[in-house]
Amino acid sequence: MAERSCLVDNDWICGEYLSSRGQELVDATLQHIGITLASVAIGLLVAFPLALLARARRSVRGPVLGLTTVFYAIPSLAMFSLLVPVLGLSVSVVVTGLVLYSLTILVRNILAGLAAVPEEAREAARGMGYGLVRLLFGVELPLALPALMAGLRIATVSTVSLTTIGAIIGYGGLGNLVLSGLRSYFKAQVLTASVLCVLLAVVADLVLLLVQRLLTPWTRTRRKRAPRAGAAKSPAGQAVA
Amino acid sequence: MSRTPRRARTGRALLAAGAVAVLTAGLAACGGDSLEKSGGGGGSAKPGEGSLVIGSASFTESKVLAEIYAGLLKDAGYSVSIKTVDARELYEPALEKGEIDVVPEYAATLAEFLNKKQNGKDAPPVASADAGATVKALRKLAEPRGLKVLDPGRAVDQNAFAVTKEFAEKHQLKTLSDLGKSKERIKLAAGDECPERPFCQPGLEKTYGIDVTGIDPLEVGSTQAKQAVKQGKDQLLLTTTTDATLEQFGLVLLEDDKKLQNSDNVLPVVNAKKAGSQKITDALAKLTRVLTTEDLTELNKKVDARRLKPADVAAGYLKDKGLLTK
Repeated sequence: MAERSCLVDNDWICGEYLSSRGQELVDATLQHIGITLASVAIGLLVAFPLALLARARRSVRGPVLGLTTVFYAIPSLAMFSLLVPVLGLSVSVVVTGLVLYSLTILVRNILAGLAAVPEEAREAARGMGYGLVRLLFGVELPLALPALMAGLRIATVSTVSLTTIGAIIGYGGLGNLVLSGLRSYFKAQVLTASVLCVLLAVVADLVLLLVQRLLTPWTRTRRKRAPRAGAAKSPAGQAVA
Repeated sequence: MSRTPRRARTGRALLAAGAVAVLTAGLAACGGDSLEKSGGGGGSAKPGEGSLVIGSASFTESKVLAEIYAGLLKDAGYSVSIKTVDARELYEPALEKGEIDVVPEYAATLAEFLNKKQNGKDAPPVASADAGATVKALRKLAEPRGLKVLDPGRAVDQNAFAVTKEFAEKHQLKTLSDLGKSKERIKLAAGDECPERPFCQPGLEKTYGIDVTGIDPLEVGSTQAKQAVKQGKDQLLLTTTTDATLEQFGLVLLEDDKKLQNSDNVLPVVNAKKAGSQKITDALAKLTRVLTTEDLTELNKKVDARRLKPADVAAGYLKDKGLLTK
């Protein structure tokens, strides 16, 4: 073993740390990505119907927005500790907590997106004989996508950072390394894991931005060949319906 | 086919919506996959006969001990996984429920933890400097909860007090009695429960006559606490006897010459139903027989100062002491 290494000197930046703990870092990063993806995906699947419900019924809107905001206000350490007696020491504690946190952001953004759909677009679609479901998925959702994606990006970035708190029960991805590094005053570990966590958030944000651009080509002004131009012309062809 | 164009349009929109749904569902699925692999076992996979979950707290000594337990139990033919949980408040209930089967513990600390849980916050202390009595009290509290306390060994990691080397030299301190005689005014970096614990502020004042002017609530043996003492903000640090990072901060321990501290002998605590067998007891007893306080300090030093991995340090120890049969 090396007599004088950056590990022994406890340097903040240490190549030897990277080379000796490569596998650990990869595992932690994969766990972090897994927890984040699962949480955001489930959050989206839960938030979407909630938002629709809140939009359809005024009476539901207040409680949904209020409750999800209350969830958001619970301190994360308390949230995970409170969920442990219910769900046991499993990864579902962390995922559940993160889903609850993402709800307020996602529900509010989906609602805002749907509210911003121009009434004329709805009218036109109804006039073309669109039912509720097709109106939602064919017209409203695509038009609401920019707001929805904005919410998704915020939710994802905040989930990446909150995942680290899961370290208190061993499911915190890179947070596990940060916590044990803090406990044993291991500078290289704390710094490396923190930097990776930030990188993860940035990459996730960029990926979602790219997805958004691919899904909403019409929002780019360069070429106004938007699909809706077609939609305006088509009623002529709809007579049969 | 006049419907086709409309279909195509809606189709595109549906495709977009569908893509999001499929993407999220798919990602959720692979997320689940990678979690199974990297989550450290346990979890949803039902541990069958012969598979054990060892719990570990997030500090070095607990991690190394958990790795050593894992090595011994693996050698005895069990398949093992380690689950790291930050605090006793979280892993002790899991041990009762059998989500965790084996945990390295400290006699006095666990006894007091269970005592408080059982008898309320202000329950009179059951742990003492007498190891035998402490373990007996612990067993009385643990057994009704379905926990089996295995025999303690010689290794002890109990609370201890440290000062900076310069401070010790200047006032010629070797023991806590010396500190009391020095009549220095002392600010103590410790946990916020220190003023109520007999072994902490009250004990320092009564037993040693140390003039404690205040407590800096920075948690026991935390990095912040050590830095505060190193920088002279506080004079005395509450830490543990096997703390291997003291040297890095230029700190030295003062001897507890009047035996103020409780007996925190290291011992395995298991879930009686799932890991109460003689075979497991025998496997873990191998370590209990040989492990000393010096060994613990040395093991901690390897991880905290030389930055070896807990698993490697544990494997090395098992090999050096010839504790493995295979």
